[in-house]
Amino acid sequence: MIKITQNQNLNTDSVAINASNLVKEFGALFAVNDVSFKINQGEIVGILGPNGAGKTTTIRLLTGVFQLEKNAKIEIFGKDITKNPRRYKKNFGIVPEISNAFSDYSVWQNLKFSGGIYGISKEKVETRSKILLTQFNLIEKIYSKTKTLSKGLKQRLNFCLALLHEPPILILDEPTGGLDPLSVKLMRTQILQLKKEGKTILITTHDMREAQNICDRILIMNRGKIIADENPNTLREQFKSTSTILFKIAGDIPVEQEHFLLDMFSITKEKNGYYQFSSFNTLKDMSKLYKVSKERNIKISDLKVRETSLEEVFIHLIKEDIFVNKEDEKND
Amino acid sequence: MIRNSLNRIWVLCMKNIFLYIKKGPVLIFGLMFPFFMSLSWVIGRNISLDQVFIGIIAMTSFFTATAISPVVLPIETREKSLERILSSPISLNEILLGILIASTLYSLIVTSVITILFMLMFSIALESLLVIFLMFLGIALMSFLGSLLGLLIAANPTDMTSNVMIIVNLVKFPLLFISGIFIPLQNSSPSLIFISFISPVTFLTDLLRFCVDGSNFFTYHFNVLMLILWIIGLFIVTYVLHKKTMPKRLSEAGKSMKKMMMMKKNM
Repeated sequence: MIKITQNQNLNTDSVAINASNLVKEFGALFAVNDVSFKINQGEIVGILGPNGAGKTTTIRLLTGVFQLEKNAKIEIFGKDITKNPRRYKKNFGIVPEISNAFSDYSVWQNLKFSGGIYGISKEKVETRSKILLTQFNLIEKIYSKTKTLSKGLKQRLNFCLALLHEPPILILDEPTGGLDPLSVKLMRTQILQLKKEGKTILITTHDMREAQNICDRILIMNRGKIIADENPNTLREQFKSTSTILFKIAGDIPVEQEHFLLDMFSITKEKNGYYQFSSFNTLKDMSKLYKVSKERNIKISDLKVRETSLEEVFIHLIKEDIFVNKEDEKND
Repeated sequence: MIRNSLNRIWVLCMKNIFLYIKKGPVLIFGLMFPFFMSLSWVIGRNISLDQVFIGIIAMTSFFTATAISPVVLPIETREKSLERILSSPISLNEILLGILIASTLYSLIVTSVITILFMLMFSIALESLLVIFLMFLGIALMSFLGSLLGLLIAANPTDMTSNVMIIVNLVKFPLLFISGIFIPLQNSSPSLIFISFISPVTFLTDLLRFCVDGSNFFTYHFNVLMLILWIIGLFIVTYVLHKKTMPKRLSEAGKSMKKMMMMKKNM
């Protein structure tokens, strides 16, 4: 089993978020179970994890939507916000996955509402709104009702609403989910631009390529716990000894033969017709595959070996965590 | 600090008025219901103009006050805009007051307009300035109290407006029937008078009787005091319940939408 410890290479002077012992229970279920992490100022940190891993609950704890348990502590730029999270909410700009702007309000009315809530003067709301709407190509829709906007345009509005009060920390909850490639590209460019401007960004995503391309660090969560905290390249580096073997089978193959092969190597079948499995010893596994296929008269074609991607590292870690948990339950 | 808080309450209040005044449940339960109920009560019966005036004002005030406050939170839970509000620097008190003030203003304006129109149309004259003041004080207190009652029932952390409106109506009608609008307290048995204390509408109706024809059962001091006590009690219970159920709302968000999607798929 590969153990990944939490990243300790952080300069405490520039820590933007320091969260420790975050816990959230829903009945008997621990949605977040003793989670601790630090995020440096100006860093982009991605939280990855399967559905129900505790990503959104962690964000809700961080932003004060959920109350903190007794032992939990959150520091924003060195200040303990545990006692009064409301006072520090101005530090956050939040972009949700699904638009939470008022659908019967126009773009302008939504911005004006946010300005009122954050106590921004009318003149400043006007100036900031114009800048943001131009930056996110939304200025033409200023008087359109939010419910008439497409998903991509709604997400741009969410960015404008999150940035209106100029927060130093941005929290993006799957910001590119379900968007068309053009909108995704625009969002990525904007996120990187915001990093250049010195914003600290916490992003949850299912898109591994996005995480690999824009994040400085990645936290992988499963079952309410952080199971990995590393730089994406370091994470892949730790799994360098692993590779993925891909192949196709020429002609038809009897079902029993296919099942035998799938079970023997823990193979998964992809939609494009490729069979694939992870290997820690490529040569040994390839020769074993060759031997078995010859014995069973299975014709293998298109054999390829691929370097492990972040997605495969993610799947491997999650599977390993599930396996370890099952073993622990058996022992108990 | 207080100025900022008042500013946020006002922004929330304006949002609630602008967004929810035209919603179906508000129009149906706030305007159409009292109108048709008053019609069905008056038509074909030999009721004095003063009694009609008192009944219509009490019903309008109570119905309009319980129209906006129960729908805001379920709708915002479903549309996820509640999470946007909760993650902003707004306290639970400010959220609740934003809803209460919007609902109270709506009820106060609608009831006041109807009261003035009725007085002009039927030449109803009130005796003194004190009586006029007491009548509008009663309407204002009932507007706030009704809004609180609606908000209390909306503490149920659902994202379905219909679920809340069913309970609101289940509570509203019995409170109206025992309040002395239809049967004056003077003509009721002691046990019915005792039961009428359960309904805050009793004290508004009795206060209006004092203002209109002097046929009140309790003193006006007592009626005003009881309305204020009801407000204090409801406010405490409403705040405590919302504090408890507000986090549960977030896990409710989208549940009804998912159910509808599942039903569509199964069809």
